[in-house]
Amino acid sequence: MTLFRAEGLTVSFSRAGERAVLFENAALSLEEAAVYDLVGPSGSGKSTLLRACARMIERDGGALYLNGAPSDAVALTKWRRQVCLVPQKPSLVSGTVRDNLVLPWTLKVHAGERPPSDSELANLLDRAALGDVELGRDVSQLSGGQLARVALLRAFATKPPVLLLDEVDAALDPDSARAIGRLTRLLVGESMTCLRIRHRAADGFAAGTFELKDGALSYRENPSQAAIGGSAPGRTGSARQSAPVAAGREGGLR
Amino acid sequence: MSAGVVDIGYVELFAASALMLVAGIVSYKLELGQTRRIAVSVVRCFVQLLAAGFVLEYLFAWQTWWLVLLALVFMISAATQIATSRVKSEVKGLIPAVFVSLFVSSVAVGLIVVEGVIHADPWYNARQLVPIAGMIIGNAMSAIAVAIDRLFSDLDSRSDEMFTLVALGATAREAAFPSIKAAIAAGMTPVLATMSAAGIVTIPGMMSGQLLAGADPLAAAKYQIVVMLMLSAANTIAIVMACFLTYRKRFAADGYYLDKGIRE
Repeated sequence: MTLFRAEGLTVSFSRAGERAVLFENAALSLEEAAVYDLVGPSGSGKSTLLRACARMIERDGGALYLNGAPSDAVALTKWRRQVCLVPQKPSLVSGTVRDNLVLPWTLKVHAGERPPSDSELANLLDRAALGDVELGRDVSQLSGGQLARVALLRAFATKPPVLLLDEVDAALDPDSARAIGRLTRLLVGESMTCLRIRHRAADGFAAGTFELKDGALSYRENPSQAAIGGSAPGRTGSARQSAPVAAGREGGLR
Repeated sequence: MSAGVVDIGYVELFAASALMLVAGIVSYKLELGQTRRIAVSVVRCFVQLLAAGFVLEYLFAWQTWWLVLLALVFMISAATQIATSRVKSEVKGLIPAVFVSLFVSSVAVGLIVVEGVIHADPWYNARQLVPIAGMIIGNAMSAIAVAIDRLFSDLDSRSDEMFTLVALGATAREAAFPSIKAAIAAGMTPVLATMSAAGIVTIPGMMSGQLLAGADPLAAAKYQIVVMLMLSAANTIAIVMACFLTYRKRFAADGYYLDKGIRE
């Protein structure tokens, strides 16, 4: 079943007084229980595409749907709670691992919801091979790989239907990056979908790969993951670039 | 002790400016490059204070509520310009928010003190209202400058954290709140420090002025206590208003933080 759909996404920005189109009419569709990769050269707009999906950047056009419902009908904070973007830098707040994992429940968008208990959090840490990390440990004492996994777990803990990962494994060694990939695949489970930007070689956990290049979004299914599924209405993704531009995280946009 | 202010003759006044030669010589000898600035400051000090003296003399003689209000608006406008120019981060559109914050805090607290504590007659009596409002505006101006400067430097340094919070579903206010709290605390610090040091380290300006004018020390102390409490209240109102009215300048209408790369 299609969980998330984007149609006709267009984002442009002004540079030196001129409007430059980063991508135009990009379309994608994400099936539930699947992980997808988003690849493309630096500056092609991958991070901006994720931001557009999370409604965290101004769009020139395009429509977003979650479970078939258009984004316009959903309040912004509620949308972001359901289409959750995890940025490249694992930005944790000062405090303990527990403080960070329950941080989302301090926000109004989770008002009335019960935060996970310590045993549920410990179970989550176990699944991420962080069983030796105590909930009371200060995050300043975690390694880079552990920080990345805690940031990922914080997003997973809120059980968003759609998870957007912006190169969360970029700064990690190959083993830690593979652990993140395995964790992502494991946690996505049956009711979520995940689109992740990656610059590394395919790790075999993704059902399909979207490629953003020269403003055009294309899609190919990964043969080894064909059984998991992943349709590609977005493979049309006609796009053009009116001027040589660089954006996304690499170009100053995130 | 004789009551009344000791008037200083213009000859003595200009002779006193020779005291600034100390600063001028230090600047010249140590090549500080401040000589011109010192000269300009001395001239500004003379011109502005003498002009204020003349204006106040006129205002005290011909006071009407609208003339007093006009004087307050002028003072607040100047304070707004000075406070916003002290903010190091580049933030557009601060002026209206700072003006409103200064206006509301100084007029509200000033009127409470003039009407409720000093019992001025009439309530807009310029002899009481203008100096009191001046103290409030001057202090609130410095407090706002400190608070807003801290607010935007803190917001900019927390951009990654705020991005994450908004991505998790936080509103702009929730994402900015730690910075707002830090800014309000920073803005409140100077007046609280002055209150702690008052009477031990320093004899505050208003009390000094009253003592020099021959007032009873206990009466001057009571006056100063009221002034300190008034400044603390007005500063708090001013900085809270200024922070809540300005933090959205760093956020898009859709509630996400505007990184430097995507600010228009």
